[in-house]
Amino acid sequence: MLLEVRNLVKEFGGVVANADISLEIERGMTVGLIGPNGAGKTTLFNCIAGYYKPTGGKVFFERKEITGWPAHRVAKIGIARTFQGMKIMPNLTVEENVMVGAFCRTRDRQIARKKAQEILEMLDLSQEINIYPTELPVATQKRIELGRALATHPQLLMLDEIAAGLNPIETKEIIQILKRMKAERDLTLFLTEHVMEFVMAISEVVTVMAAGRKIAEGSPKEVAKQEKVIEAYLGERYAKG
Amino acid sequence: MAYSDGKMRQVLKNIFSLEDRPRSERIGFIIFIVIILVFPWVVETSYARAVMIKFLLFALFGLGWNLIGGYGGQVDLGQAKNVGFGAYATALMMVWWKVPFWITILPGMAFATAESFAVAYPMFRLRGHYFAIATLCVALVWKELFVFWDWTGGARGVEIPIRPTPDFAYMQFGSPIYYHYFIFLLFIAQLLFMNWFRKSKLGYQLQAIRDNEEAAASLGINVTNTKVITYCITAALGAMGGSFMAAYYLYIDPDFVMPLDLSILIAMTVMVGGAGSMWGPILGAAILIPLDMYLGAWLGAEKRLGIDYMIYALIMMFIAAREPKGIWGVFERMRKRR
Repeated sequence: MLLEVRNLVKEFGGVVANADISLEIERGMTVGLIGPNGAGKTTLFNCIAGYYKPTGGKVFFERKEITGWPAHRVAKIGIARTFQGMKIMPNLTVEENVMVGAFCRTRDRQIARKKAQEILEMLDLSQEINIYPTELPVATQKRIELGRALATHPQLLMLDEIAAGLNPIETKEIIQILKRMKAERDLTLFLTEHVMEFVMAISEVVTVMAAGRKIAEGSPKEVAKQEKVIEAYLGERYAKG
Repeated sequence: MAYSDGKMRQVLKNIFSLEDRPRSERIGFIIFIVIILVFPWVVETSYARAVMIKFLLFALFGLGWNLIGGYGGQVDLGQAKNVGFGAYATALMMVWWKVPFWITILPGMAFATAESFAVAYPMFRLRGHYFAIATLCVALVWKELFVFWDWTGGARGVEIPIRPTPDFAYMQFGSPIYYHYFIFLLFIAQLLFMNWFRKSKLGYQLQAIRDNEEAAASLGINVTNTKVITYCITAALGAMGGSFMAAYYLYIDPDFVMPLDLSILIAMTVMVGGAGSMWGPILGAAILIPLDMYLGAWLGAEKRLGIDYMIYALIMMFIAAREPKGIWGVFERMRKRR
């Protein structure tokens, strides 16, 4: 068991964003987290990655409890993430962005640079090394953010809506990259997504959330057939049909 | 030392090498060094020499402030308190116990570091403007304390007695040329430190924090600790310049070494020159310090009316609105276009 979330609760004032969520992720798996807007997917991510302190429940990583750890410690233990809506460093070049990730594991600038170059090559970004990321298209920026997270040498990579805002061709490219990454490194992927084709194409297990609760879990095909899931997405009227 | 030979060589290379900068910059830098070196032999007027020394002093202040303010993006408007700590440590120790100047530098830097460490954690709970206001208040409180206390000489300040003969131990020389070279040495030492810093892990992590704190944390960076460490280093570097001020001007009081004007002028030299760039603070000081001194001479008593402040405010507004990366940013843009 790589990651285990046990009865996690997160409340904001009176609003319950995550109610009693439990899930388990095996090493080497790709797990998709789906659900309509406001289901609490990003909140769950933030609770695991140390951006929110959970109101209740526990999080374990490799059997070690990491509940409420600050984000930088979570990163050090081997959980990397990307952000919904991207958080790229605009005043650092593409290479420097990825280098900052690599500095998570080394003090040495030469080693960090070498690692950044390797990763950028894998992501087909070798040409863009000395450019500032804001001058590049969104799809490229997403790849940079992915590379930056990868440079921290994670065991678990959490991707928050990495395909949002990408066209179908770019989405396919990202899927290719993720598959290649997983094959080359001993990686476990945990991703939230709105784009259904994306989750269904890449996940082995899908967890569905609605209104702060986990409502279904299973292989993509199983989950897509469940009434509760269809209801959550389309409303009760369509569920029976 | 834990460093192996190869590691040590790498560290030395990081300190001294400018090989990652473009050729034009390296040539420009050498020309700059040559000008500074020959300056006191070519220019004879003592006023121009004093302007030069003040320029080097403020370039030194700017380099230090650029750490937290430029690379770290935290607008610290209280650097004058650290200058004051350095200046008072030097002046008081020289007057009370006749301690040689050279020995007084370290205690001043140590006190500034310790004080900054003590106030840093609560202050870095604040962000942006609120952080700036907090730094400003802490500096003002210290200034008032130094006015209020008797043992610091109060508002009258401290005078360092002039020795009958030039004395190396107390940094009293017969000719301003020595001060020129001494501040130049301090300046070079700090420049080398900055050259190392910008290539260090700390340097990269600090810039990541400036650009996006949440992203930085996701990459394993302890945001608060990194800011605190940088804030302390900045304080120590400010105190170093302060020690020089005491020995050079031989008279200090809170209005001279700790005022708000000084904090703002230090921050402004960096912002005008280009915050977060290697050469920005030097450029900023090269423009603002001569401007400040000649404006003072030209306006005379009128200076009190605040005409110089109006001019600074205009410059500041222009920089903030049109060129957030300062003069160096303009250079970089021109270079890119070619």
